Amino acid sequence: MNPIPIQLQDASRSFRGVPVIKNLTLNVQAGSIYGFLGRNAAGKTTALRMLAGLIRPDSGTARILDIDPFSMGAAEREWLGYLPERLAIPPRSKVRAVLNLGRDLYPTWDASLAESLVGKYGLSVEKRFSTLSQGSQRILGFIMAIAPRPKVLLLDEPAANLDVIARREVLDDILTLIRDCGCTVLMSTHILGDVERVADQVGILANGALRVSEPLDTLKDSIRQVRFFGFSGALPTAGIPQSFRTVRGKDEIVMTLRTNSGVTPESLAARWSCRQETRILGLEDIFVELSSN
Amino acid sequence: MFLLNPSSGVPLYVQLHQQIRQRILTGQLTQGTQLPSVRDLSAELHVNPLTVAKVYQILERDGLVETRRGIGTYVSGQSPTLKMDARRAQLDPALEQLASEAIHLGIGEAEVQALLAEKFRKLKPQD
Repeated sequence: MNPIPIQLQDASRSFRGVPVIKNLTLNVQAGSIYGFLGRNAAGKTTALRMLAGLIRPDSGTARILDIDPFSMGAAEREWLGYLPERLAIPPRSKVRAVLNLGRDLYPTWDASLAESLVGKYGLSVEKRFSTLSQGSQRILGFIMAIAPRPKVLLLDEPAANLDVIARREVLDDILTLIRDCGCTVLMSTHILGDVERVADQVGILANGALRVSEPLDTLKDSIRQVRFFGFSGALPTAGIPQSFRTVRGKDEIVMTLRTNSGVTPESLAARWSCRQETRILGLEDIFVELSSN
Repeated sequence: MFLLNPSSGVPLYVQLHQQIRQRILTGQLTQGTQLPSVRDLSAELHVNPLTVAKVYQILERDGLVETRRGIGTYVSGQSPTLKMDARRAQLDPALEQLASEAIHLGIGEAEVQALLAEKFRKLKPQD
């Protein structure tokens, strides 16, 4: 049986007594690109660090390809590519030396892929790490993560500090990796347009727990913002379906809710004898609606 | 070439499906035409291959394309009834919006039909 490649099971983690991740269960299926969303300090980086084997959960488990990432051997490490939030590369190392280190560490290192990426992104191999622009530092970290052709890729804000063109190219490189070697990707980002373009699954993390975790298509197909108006009598107070956000006005109700075959804007309007107008939401609006408390 | 807008609330697979279906139904893609492979089309559109694979599955289920294993995906020859059903399906969202808008505005069915007939005359004066 193929294990779920990326898995957190009921994981919790606190720092100095402050809980950051609370009973988080997260599964990323093989071949998926999972867009991991959340506001700053929602706990995305902590979750990724647990999966990368840098910190242990206080309780619960982290698994990469069914192995505890904290106790991975060198051979298993090759399967896991990780771009951390902050790169731990000595500032005085030259780009060439960093790439050579990757080649020596990983038997699966694809030198021709690394070279072609260095060329494509215009990195100068003789430059020292500290003299690279923030974006180029990010690119070098990205190359280090994907050149070993990993089976699992964890990316913590891959697009941070990149210009639009470089960002598109990074996304294309991720897609190419998926097409060529069936890699599974978990990617945290604030750039929702990137997620909409490439991710098939999304999760929204708020206060250390997932608000939603599902296919992006399902999310876009089912979340609707509906304005109910033209009530013949008083606004209803009972029988209101659960919603992510409800704003009650004097003679209208605006709610963001999950529609399904049983709950439709039309059926609610019929029940309340009012009228309704429905708006479909892009991911940015969905994110705002679902992240607010 | 297909034009997708990822930040729209309409899922990418829906956008791509509508465009390919439209092209098949309007004869821009004719019977026997080979569609690009999932791999090539996803690379060209910079989208997840799963998105393209999903669209091809839906088109195949609806009988608009057929997949010859190991060779490729081709626009199929459709029976006239299937083609009519698919055309009606393409028109359905617009009709639904028209009807719901008219109900909101309190414009009756007969008046909408009259207005629609007028539009037809304007856009297609021959008939």
